[in-house]
Amino acid sequence: MDALTGRGLIRDDEVFLRMSRVERIQHILLIVSFTLLVLTGLPLLFYELRLFKAVFSYGRVFYIRGVVHRAAAVLLIADILWHFGTTILTARGRENFRELIPRRKDALDAIALFGYNVGISGWLYRKGVLRRFFDRHPFWKFEDPPEYGRYNFIEKLEYLAVAWGSLVMIASGFFMWKVELSLKLFPLWLHDIFVIVHGYEAMLAFLAIIIWHMYNVHLNPEVFPMSRIWLDGKITGHQLRTLHALEYRKIEDERRRALGASAAAAGPDPARGA
Amino acid sequence: MSRAGVLAVLSLPAVLIVLGDAPSLAGQPPDDDCLVCHSDPDLKSGQGLPRYVDGAKFSASIHGEAGISCVDCHADLAGFSDFPHAETLKPVACASCHDAAAAAIGASAHGRPHDGPMPFAVHCKDCHGTHEILSHEDAASRTFALNIPDTCTSCHLDRVRATRGPGFVGLYLESVHFRALSKAGLSLAATCVSCHGGHDVRPIDDPDSRVARPAIIATCGGCHTGIERDYLEGVHGKAYVKGALEVPVCTDCHTEHDIRSPADLGSVVYATKVAAVCARCHDDEGLARQYGLLTSRLKTYASSFHGMASKSGETRVANCSSCHGHHDIRPSSDPRSSINAANMAATCGVCHPGAGANFSKGRIHVVSERTENRWAYTVKLVYLVVIGGLISVFLAFIAADLTRRLRARWTR
Repeated sequence: MDALTGRGLIRDDEVFLRMSRVERIQHILLIVSFTLLVLTGLPLLFYELRLFKAVFSYGRVFYIRGVVHRAAAVLLIADILWHFGTTILTARGRENFRELIPRRKDALDAIALFGYNVGISGWLYRKGVLRRFFDRHPFWKFEDPPEYGRYNFIEKLEYLAVAWGSLVMIASGFFMWKVELSLKLFPLWLHDIFVIVHGYEAMLAFLAIIIWHMYNVHLNPEVFPMSRIWLDGKITGHQLRTLHALEYRKIEDERRRALGASAAAAGPDPARGA
Repeated sequence: MSRAGVLAVLSLPAVLIVLGDAPSLAGQPPDDDCLVCHSDPDLKSGQGLPRYVDGAKFSASIHGEAGISCVDCHADLAGFSDFPHAETLKPVACASCHDAAAAAIGASAHGRPHDGPMPFAVHCKDCHGTHEILSHEDAASRTFALNIPDTCTSCHLDRVRATRGPGFVGLYLESVHFRALSKAGLSLAATCVSCHGGHDVRPIDDPDSRVARPAIIATCGGCHTGIERDYLEGVHGKAYVKGALEVPVCTDCHTEHDIRSPADLGSVVYATKVAAVCARCHDDEGLARQYGLLTSRLKTYASSFHGMASKSGETRVANCSSCHGHHDIRPSSDPRSSINAANMAATCGVCHPGAGANFSKGRIHVVSERTENRWAYTVKLVYLVVIGGLISVFLAFIAADLTRRLRARWTR
């Protein structure tokens, strides 16, 4: 019976909304501002490279670079403020935020995924090594990949990284923009640290995006060449079941309960009564 | 001889009688006797060299005006009457009157026997001309200030090789001095003679030369009095007075001939280029050891925002002289130094108004954060560990993911 097993409640080709239009626009603004910031900022860390020297010394390019960098920073700040607004003021935003809070399970998921992917403990178990330990602690066998909710630990980490990175970059960048204010408030050695932090945090953010985000949403064979969620915001029932199993089951449960409630309201099932 | 010349010769006695101007009192032939032949524009020597003398120009010359006659200079013709005279005359001895100038020339680069591959002598006439010599105050004179560069470069542009290489002298024609002379018509602007001297021009390795290191400050200071005073008060000037050989003099920073305004893009002291000039000494390990200087000045500047922007052609950012000054650079220990802790707020405040005294709470030109800014060092270290750690974890996860997928493909 479908109502009891849950089968048929979510079709594999059913389409769910994973990113709303507002979220997609916020994401695109983030891409635009981040890219501009990286292009106009990161080369300063490699000022000796002949390429950057040639480009920057052409005409007023260096000056324009600074203007674009600050304009992109303003865009990023505006995007973040808008995101704050939608997160706080909409029910969907608040729920997304709750789903994004890191929990103990995320740390365990990370270990479990790594262990499952490496596959050594399963091999050891089959060979009979440490069998008693594995029987007592089945978690360390890593037999199955972890199941995720709406956001897996990778996505949570990226969201937190963007939040932390933006905070650091905006704060340090603001004081680099307003040098006079910074030095009115802080000694020079502290201002120097702002400059250092701005550079290293930029490097970290750039590497994280290039390596971690690009692999997980683009180069990963599962989605290669690219997950299209950021463009249309759609995820299918099948994808939901394989990638976000807990979210999938949550939706299933909700539908089952709704079905049960409507069935109860409609009175005893005639089929069962027969 | 032309028809006019023949006519002149024939009519000469008549003219002499009419004018009654026959100064053959001392038995000397009058100038007009010479001009009988030498006023012919086509008169040539046996070797084909022009022997024409423009009588009008000679009369207008400083010698003509002073009443000096031909044979006063061409002394071997004094008392001569059996014209035409011999082809070759003795060289004119200007020294017979101009003894001081002649003595100066004798000791100068022009007066000494040239020992180069093409030895040749320089005579008075090579600079001053011959019959048409004018006072150096006369705008048409070859030695008038505005004409000096032409006079000197007629030999020194390419006939005489400068030891500093071809084109070295010609660089003067690009200089602010020559611009002032030629464009602004400023006769006070420095010409060759202003720095090298006139008759007493000497090579740079001659200790008595006006352009030798021990004399150059006074030579430039001859016009740039205020700058000379500033320089002598600065750290460079004080070492210069003590006789330090490596200390920069005017020409070390500004070059010799190619001196340009700091606002000129081609100037070696243009805002974005001045760091390279200072770094020639201030990033030199040998000089640092000898004089106890701090090194890595350019390196630390170049890695700062000021340095990066400057290297990219941004002229509004600080270069060496923005903070340190230029002619009167003083050590930070000097209370009058622009980089003395007490003056930092004012110095930095030129560009960063209101930033105040916090500028002195920290170090500029940080060579080693470990010793000079411990907190910055710690922050850097933490970041390096975090970046290295996180990226390693990311790569490990990606590698693990790929191994599982490959394994699945193989076992299938």
